[in-house]
Amino acid sequence: MDKIFASLLSIRWQDVFDITLNSYILFRLYVLFRRTNVFRVLIGIAFLWFFQRIAVFLGLILTSWVIGGITAAAALIIIVVFRNEIRSYLQAEKIWAILWGFPRKAVDTPVQVIAESVFEMARRHTGALIVVPGKDDLEEVIQTGVTWDGAISKEMLISIFWPDNPVHDGAAIVRGTRITKVGVLLPLSRRNDLPSKYGTRHRAALGLTETTDALAVVVSEERGQVIVSKGSQIHLINNKDELSSILQDHLGIAEENLGRLKREKVELAAAALASLVLITGIWFSFTRGFESLVALEVPIEYMNRRSEIEIVDTSVNAIHVYLSGSGALIRSIQPSQIHVRLDLANGVVGHNTFTITPEDITLPPGIILTKVKPRMVEVKLDVLTERSLPVQVDWTGRLPRNLVMTQLVITPETVRIIGGRQVLNSVSTVYTEKLRLDTINKSGTLTAKLALNPTSIRFVSGYNENVKVDYVIKKRF
Amino acid sequence: MNFSSDWGRIMRLRLGTLFLVLFFIGVNPPLRLQAQDTGGTTPVTASKELTLVKAAMCEGIKNSSPQNQAIIFSAAIGEVFCFTSFDPVPEKSFIYHNWFNRDRLSTRIRLAINPPRWSTYSSTTFREADKGPWRVEVTDQDGHILNILRFSITD
Repeated sequence: MDKIFASLLSIRWQDVFDITLNSYILFRLYVLFRRTNVFRVLIGIAFLWFFQRIAVFLGLILTSWVIGGITAAAALIIIVVFRNEIRSYLQAEKIWAILWGFPRKAVDTPVQVIAESVFEMARRHTGALIVVPGKDDLEEVIQTGVTWDGAISKEMLISIFWPDNPVHDGAAIVRGTRITKVGVLLPLSRRNDLPSKYGTRHRAALGLTETTDALAVVVSEERGQVIVSKGSQIHLINNKDELSSILQDHLGIAEENLGRLKREKVELAAAALASLVLITGIWFSFTRGFESLVALEVPIEYMNRRSEIEIVDTSVNAIHVYLSGSGALIRSIQPSQIHVRLDLANGVVGHNTFTITPEDITLPPGIILTKVKPRMVEVKLDVLTERSLPVQVDWTGRLPRNLVMTQLVITPETVRIIGGRQVLNSVSTVYTEKLRLDTINKSGTLTAKLALNPTSIRFVSGYNENVKVDYVIKKRF
Repeated sequence: MNFSSDWGRIMRLRLGTLFLVLFFIGVNPPLRLQAQDTGGTTPVTASKELTLVKAAMCEGIKNSSPQNQAIIFSAAIGEVFCFTSFDPVPEKSFIYHNWFNRDRLSTRIRLAINPPRWSTYSSTTFREADKGPWRVEVTDQDGHILNILRFSITD
């Protein structure tokens, strides 16, 4: 219980913001894609992910791997398959509509005109098929018809489906206030349980609504019946008001129907709450669940060193940090995300002992520091100073016994070195790298590279690390 | 710094500073005459500073002179000498030969010098482990460096 309280108390404002933001994103996805195929596929992917987590928890290596692969592929497929729908949202005139507000479909569609036209055609036994699209893109499923783009009117609709009109056998697509296409061929339903009284128009209407969120209105030529197809359901419509109501419901047209508004508000509130609960659960599972431990070696970064001060020596260059957190966070942690920074602002020349505190260590969110080793770091600081030091050659090997080196001139004789004052006080000569004597048999010149020791000292700018060595060889008497 | 231990560990000091090279009066007449002119007192010589006129690393000393002067010596010869000659020596005093292996003081040898001129030397023996760059700092009794002789011990 104490652990739960400690876990709750450790929640930062960033965590609250993190949960709220992701909950809102999830809620907006629901608002934008509800009652569409995209939403159904998203739900499917969410279930796949959930099962994959369970498989991981149970240690089902192959299963979790396979489900993980399918989930990743499905996420990719959803972008490809539903690219048109996604594009239609991203290309919306009001981009803020993605983040705020509730989309309404073609609120100005003249529902009454359509209903009156449909029942007029029913009275005349004129066959008709009118499609009112939802959020899904129909381009993937419908056959190309004839572009019409005419304003909806009773006369126009009746004339389109007039038996002598060449396009009367196809469907008419209605978007907003306009009839966009006519003579459109729809995919036929393959269902076997349809009554024999339903003809090709009914099968075409079902074929479309089974695969999309569109609504289709069918007028039976033989019986003069009006039927509405939505999803895989077919409903017989008895009057204009009923058809108007269904069309308004499909188009999301706001009615002065308090009950319907209340129902929608309750639905959205439930969706918002579900989003919050789901994201909170995921957040806790990521950041607090299944505690794991890891030890990492992290280099120490020394901060706020005064420009005239040099770090001469340190007891350690890196420390071991022991971290705990949820398995997911621990697995995803990168050494580059962890920083150990020691503040040298209060350091003095000479030996300094610093104690590493949690404030000196930067960790990714959700990771808890459990131990540091070593906790104390010795840092030796020195004041930077310059000195001229003589150069001496470091010979190795052997001169032939009959020869002797009698004279040596090094150019330059001295070099200027910069380094910590205490270090430089202990250095009186700069030696070259080893020069071999074995190949020398007469006077000559060599170029030698200087070897700075200790490595904390360096040349003052302008001084070359190479010197010229002129030597004189004589025969031994 | 424990000089006594270095003294005993590494070096065999040939305290043979002993050899006093008094040149014949005819070799250095001006100084001799000068001393004489001053009636054996030392105001003139005392006012002169101790001057190192010759310093050399060599393989040996023969007849008060350095033999086989060089700057590279084989560890096989076992011993190296540092020869120094002063003229004038204003008063009886000491000089030091400080032998350094790289930057580590190996031994410090005190050598007596006497007026009016004096030559003296010190030496050290080497082992295989002593190979590398060396230097001898010649200082007066106050520690002022009069000369630095650099040499190497090799195979």
